[in-house]
Amino acid sequence: MKRHLAWWGERALLVLVSVIVLFPIAWMFLTAFKRPRDAYSLSLDFSPTLQNFVTVFADPWNLGDMVLNSVIVATVTVLIAVPCASLAAYSFSRFRVRGRKFLFFLILSTQFIPAVVIVLPFFLMFRTLGLLDTRLALIVVNLAIVTPFVIWMIKGFIDAIPTDSEEAAMIDGASRLRVIKDIVLPMAAPGILTSSIFCFILTWNEFLFALILTRRDAVTLPVGLVSFRTERGDLWELMSAAGVMITVPIFIMALLIQKHFTRGMTAGAVK
Amino acid sequence: MLPYWLLIPAFVIVLATTIYPLAYSFVTSFREWDLTKQRRPDGFVGFDNYLHAASESGFQNSLWVTTIFVVTSVALTLVIAMSLALLLRRKGRMHTFTRIVLILPFAMSPALIGVSYRFMFNPEFGVLAKGLGAVFPALEGMPWLADPNLAMAILVLTDVWHWAPYMTFMCLGGLASIPRETEEAARIDGASYLRIFFGIILPQMKGVLLVTAVLKTIFALKMFDQVVTLTGGGPGTSTETLAFFVFNVGFKWYDMGYASALAWILTAIMMLISIWYVRMLLSDRKMATA
Amino acid sequence: MADVRLVDIEKKYGNFLAVPQLNLTIEDGEFLVLLGPSGCGKTTTMRMIAGLEEITSGDIEIAGKRINDKPPKDRDIAMVFQNYGLYPHMTVRQNIDYPLKLRGVDRAARTRRVQETAEKVELEALLERRPSELSGGQRQRVALARAIVRTPSIFLMDEPLSNLDAKLRVTMRAELKHLHHELGVTTVYVTHDQMEAMTLASRIAIMREGRIVQLDTPKRIYSEPADLFVAGFIGSPSMNLIDGAIAGGVFTAPGVSFPVDQPDRDDVVLGIRPEDLEISTAPDAPVIGKLYALELTGESTLVTLRTGANSVCARGPADHEAEINAPCHFVPKPGARVHLFDRPSGHRLDGLSAKGQTL
Ligand SMILES: Nc1ncnc2c1ncn2[C@@H]1O[C@H](COP(=O)(O)OP(=O)(O)OP(=O)(O)O)[C@@H](O)[C@H]1O
Ligand SMILES: [Mg+2]
Repeated sequence: MKRHLAWWGERALLVLVSVIVLFPIAWMFLTAFKRPRDAYSLSLDFSPTLQNFVTVFADPWNLGDMVLNSVIVATVTVLIAVPCASLAAYSFSRFRVRGRKFLFFLILSTQFIPAVVIVLPFFLMFRTLGLLDTRLALIVVNLAIVTPFVIWMIKGFIDAIPTDSEEAAMIDGASRLRVIKDIVLPMAAPGILTSSIFCFILTWNEFLFALILTRRDAVTLPVGLVSFRTERGDLWELMSAAGVMITVPIFIMALLIQKHFTRGMTAGAVK
Repeated sequence: MLPYWLLIPAFVIVLATTIYPLAYSFVTSFREWDLTKQRRPDGFVGFDNYLHAASESGFQNSLWVTTIFVVTSVALTLVIAMSLALLLRRKGRMHTFTRIVLILPFAMSPALIGVSYRFMFNPEFGVLAKGLGAVFPALEGMPWLADPNLAMAILVLTDVWHWAPYMTFMCLGGLASIPRETEEAARIDGASYLRIFFGIILPQMKGVLLVTAVLKTIFALKMFDQVVTLTGGGPGTSTETLAFFVFNVGFKWYDMGYASALAWILTAIMMLISIWYVRMLLSDRKMATA
Repeated sequence: MADVRLVDIEKKYGNFLAVPQLNLTIEDGEFLVLLGPSGCGKTTTMRMIAGLEEITSGDIEIAGKRINDKPPKDRDIAMVFQNYGLYPHMTVRQNIDYPLKLRGVDRAARTRRVQETAEKVELEALLERRPSELSGGQRQRVALARAIVRTPSIFLMDEPLSNLDAKLRVTMRAELKHLHHELGVTTVYVTHDQMEAMTLASRIAIMREGRIVQLDTPKRIYSEPADLFVAGFIGSPSMNLIDGAIAGGVFTAPGVSFPVDQPDRDDVVLGIRPEDLEISTAPDAPVIGKLYALELTGESTLVTLRTGANSVCARGPADHEAEINAPCHFVPKPGARVHLFDRPSGHRLDGLSAKGQTL
């Protein structure tokens, strides 16, 4: 009887946790499909509409431009950071060269630098170069945050791959680069994919850099949210529609690689 | 040579995107530079910017706000993450479902989290403001974000909502590496659940909890996005964290020298914590191997 | 085809000296077996030859050329790894094919070679599986196939048969012997199985703590062990080793007395193999004690007696029967060899090479 109580209690707790996590997200999704009038009532009895999405993609909000900016900035950042980081991670993981520990520590310690410190000089530099409010500026600054993180993460994945197969390949006659191409990359692929998605999420959600470095042309989705605060007050139903646009692609990615995703998260703790 | 060639691309990126700006802002922190007045930096002023920080109330306020925020959010996150990990450790369909649900908060944009909670705590039509008022009459008509203490509480709440799930996964990883046998032996010996938790699980989780605590501390010190979208630092200056304050000094008042000095103070705090963390971790390792 | 010369090679892991100053020449076309207890440095030595482990000091020569700094791929070596080192993301066929592909062998020849090799190691039914879908023994055969699919100048095989069942092991052993006979490729082979060592080796190198204690033909390793370590290591059941002293041309220990052709001295160990002793009823037998155990092995019975602190084992006929604790006597067989060792150093006592010590 007592055991029964514990069993139900555990289930009840699980439901409670899920509700606490899901409620804010669900409420935002609901609001995105409400008419402005309904958005300000708490009623669940409303007729859903796509009008909000139509509005945000039209002038003056032009959410489409922001989506494009976000996609370009995040994709290019991943495409630069992940290959470079993979090579470095392999080097850190497999070679015992001089200065390795120092270099690795240097790269890791940049993770602890607050973003404001980095963005100040970049703001001044881009101002001089006339690069403020461009995607290029955002990509450069995002690389600062993302690269060390990805090196660290991919190194964790490569460390977990035994070296035997690589050695066998070298004996079989493969050069080091061939080994990387034929053996390491296929074996590390799930880890590299996971790291890429982490990297994409970090860049996609990045707010501080975009807030400081963009005004109009290169604004990304998270900063775009702020523009729905107008003199007429906050336009919640439009903000929610934009929020849906921000979250849906990321949620899909995270859930697609769900298993690796949690492994990537835990990698930090075990190291 | 190959090991070095492989390192070069990444190293160039890190050098250009962090080491260089770091050095640049370090130099700027010793200069006078009001961007509204001149395009180029003025002369060197020694430690003036740092001394200014020591005497300025805005900075001291932000230091205090940051301390409160970091302590409460780290403590709450850790306790919740550890409890959730214990709850989710077992196998089961509902456990799996909840684990998947827990991925979502981390994937959500922090700026958007701030916006959502602002919406939900709007005193007139916010679903949480109204809902809580209906369930607990004492909370009816609370000013929520207009009240300094409540605003801070909500800020902490959003941060815990964002990070506790991530930290739960770290704790789950730690729990998975504890051998089941000791725990099972204790259970057979008739130890109570609390005894098992404090006597067996917690000591073995020390390392993981330490890493989690320090990572969370670093993230909390950097916290910026939700301040902008949830409270805007207000009401008044009651939620102006250090990162937000530096942002204001730099990009509202355009006082580059002072902003750089403040940024470096923030960096120094983080560095100290990181060094302390590496130390703790190393001594912990040594004890474990001895 | 190539000979391998290791000149004063040394390997340190940090402060730990895994292999100190090893000298070893492996002749062209030779089948050299490395034998020794776990952790004695066999794998390390092989990995140094392969170029997978940097040598701390010394030189390695293959076919007369110093190759210390050559990467593994340029040493023309094929290797079977102790823990297989298969490519987990490739099928068995791709695994075996990979070395040929790297060497630019044309497709038709490759397909044929892979098929032939797979048949040799009895894997033809599993070619499309991945390593994770194989048993330990099957994986080991893939590793073996990947090594023998091409003809390198040196084969390195680190316990290539250790995980196979007894029957398959005998088949593979014969296969390897035949292969070596056919190709005459210089081979270095690690095993823990004495039978494998005896049947395959041209020469055996016995290693201990990174050093080679004896390097000789299987026959001589067996009949003339250089010291107590080799004497105890080779042979199954292992050689009887009895502590005692020589006085007046007779080796004595409690219950044991052998006439030997040596000057008087203390601290001597006498060794005699179980297969050199037989059961007797002679009252003046050199070994007298009480029967301790009888173990039937199939083709013979191992008879152990105890006398004083010593146990002595003899190989008797399969139908031997006796009561435990009954008196028991052993005499040397005609032509038996007796070995004498110096206790403190463990070295074989010179002047008594086992020849002629017939009693
Ligand atoms: N990477 C390493 N770092 C430190 N010590 C090592 C390393 N590899 C091997 N050793 C040590 O070197 C010694 C020789 O190891 P090796 O693997 O050559 O033994 P082995 O003779 O092959 O043993 P086995 O029969 O068990 O395979 C061992 O004491 C081992 O602990
Ligand atoms: Mg070995």
